[in-house]
Amino acid sequence: MAILRESYYIYLRNLKIWLAQPMNLVSAVLSSAFVFLFFGAPLGGVTQLPGFPAEDYQAYLTAMVIVMSVVFNGADVAMAVLTDILSGYFEKLLLAPINRFSILFGSLLMAGTRALVQVVIIVTLAILLGVSFKGGALGVLAVIASATTLGIALACLGLVIALKTKSAQVTQNSWLLFMPLAFLTTAFMPKELLTGWFKIAVTANPVDYIMAGIRAIIIQGWEWDVILPGLWMLVAATVSLITMATWFYRRATA
Amino acid sequence: MSNHEIVQVKNLVKVYPGGTRAVSGIDFTVIQGEFFGFLGPNGAGKTTTIKILSALLKKTSGEAVVAGYHVDRDPREVRRRIGFAMQEVGLDDLATGWDFLVLQGLLYGLSRREARRRAAELLDLVELAPVAKRKIGTYSGGMRRRIDLVAALMHSPALLFLDEPTTGLDPQSRLAIWEHLEQLNEQGVTIFLTTQMMEEADRLCQRIAIIDQSRIVAEGSPQELKAKVGGDMIRITIASTDERAGKALMDKAEALVKELSYVSGVSSRDGNLIIGVKDGSSGAPDLMRVFHDNKIPVTHLSVASPSLDDVFLKYTGRKIRSEEASGDEAGQMLRPWLGLKRR
Repeated sequence: MAILRESYYIYLRNLKIWLAQPMNLVSAVLSSAFVFLFFGAPLGGVTQLPGFPAEDYQAYLTAMVIVMSVVFNGADVAMAVLTDILSGYFEKLLLAPINRFSILFGSLLMAGTRALVQVVIIVTLAILLGVSFKGGALGVLAVIASATTLGIALACLGLVIALKTKSAQVTQNSWLLFMPLAFLTTAFMPKELLTGWFKIAVTANPVDYIMAGIRAIIIQGWEWDVILPGLWMLVAATVSLITMATWFYRRATA
Repeated sequence: MSNHEIVQVKNLVKVYPGGTRAVSGIDFTVIQGEFFGFLGPNGAGKTTTIKILSALLKKTSGEAVVAGYHVDRDPREVRRRIGFAMQEVGLDDLATGWDFLVLQGLLYGLSRREARRRAAELLDLVELAPVAKRKIGTYSGGMRRRIDLVAALMHSPALLFLDEPTTGLDPQSRLAIWEHLEQLNEQGVTIFLTTQMMEEADRLCQRIAIIDQSRIVAEGSPQELKAKVGGDMIRITIASTDERAGKALMDKAEALVKELSYVSGVSSRDGNLIIGVKDGSSGAPDLMRVFHDNKIPVTHLSVASPSLDDVFLKYTGRKIRSEEASGDEAGQMLRPWLGLKRR
């Protein structure tokens, strides 16, 4: 199929561009490491609180670090696409006799790759810090797979922002949208220990369900009561965001 | 369709959402092998037309057939057959020149091997082989234009669209691009270029259409268009020993010249004879023969032709903007702020 080959070419190009900017990956990994460093040991005492579900606070934090890194990945992908739009290279790609959706797929594939590489590094880091995955080796794979999927879904959101606004100012600041998604969650505390508006916001944030599912695999093992809502939310978010991105993309390139 | 017409445009109209009429019912054809130019000021509708013809932009109405395919029915077939170097040079600054060209080839259906062979060949052609492995972001303005030009040639298109290919370049880089274009045209590539530079249109194009305020106001070869403005002017200085003898010679010359069929007018000014002729290049030698036969000593002769500037003035009542197009100024100003220039 021509579209697969074309998407692959676009993907390879995106990969080369990404590898040409190693700081992107370094800063993503460092910011994750900082979270472990700044919050892990110093705040470890919270595990003593009655009702706290984990004994190891770093294990608790791992899900949050993973989700945070793929959430911000969405903003980075948006910026990469916008850079192509502003430089005119996007139009040059559209001029080629290829299926235009191969440009979209090549970008999403790249978003998945970035998310995958980041998540694998964070999981390795967590294991090195002594975090043990209760879900076992299969759990590690499940965490990596679901975080990568979430990365692709959120890249769709970033892509829509870039295509719709074509504005570097808006796109560069799209982390303002992504930040609540990452932090209005049970990132640091389980829901039972949260109160007031924050608890309501967390309940309304779809990303929290996915984060909770990933965390369950890490700190509890195959706890399906928590994992399943997360899984459904992930599937729903991925399907709807990819649909939305495709729709906007079709309109933007018509 | 005749086989020779590689571009056929009939009553083409483009109205942008918001009501701006960029193109108001233009007709023209481009013949295979021709070097055809669209000459007009900024905002005349040149870029809009060329983008419609390359299937990047949808027309509002009318008909546009490129390389035998309707641009809106078979956009991919059209794109396969054309190369397009855009005004806003769409380059991938973080890619190397080599990777950029090879990918371009792959996207146009070349095999990896063909793409590599062609990239090497074209980099040689535009003398960019030594910088092929450098990132495009480090290239100079002239190098960027050249790599953009050869990117449009990777799939050996029969028809090449160029939107202001030398705008913003220094004279030396401009000349280099012109030479490449002439060479390509000699090799049989049909070239359709837009420009707001008279000199460029005059030097390169076999036929031009002057476009102003979304309409074509004149069409023909540069020579034809200039001839419509009026013929050439020949200025002759006659040698004489004194004023009276000079006056007699001048009168004799004027009387002789008036009888010639190709002379449209003659007058004397500051001791020179100004002669209007249809075509200076054939008129001047003949005039020299006439003067020689009649023993009138000529010391100096010069021929001046009307320029495309005069043509533009005649058809639009205005002078074409002489400054270089500066592009999207606001966008350019923002780029350094966004760290986009070097990316």
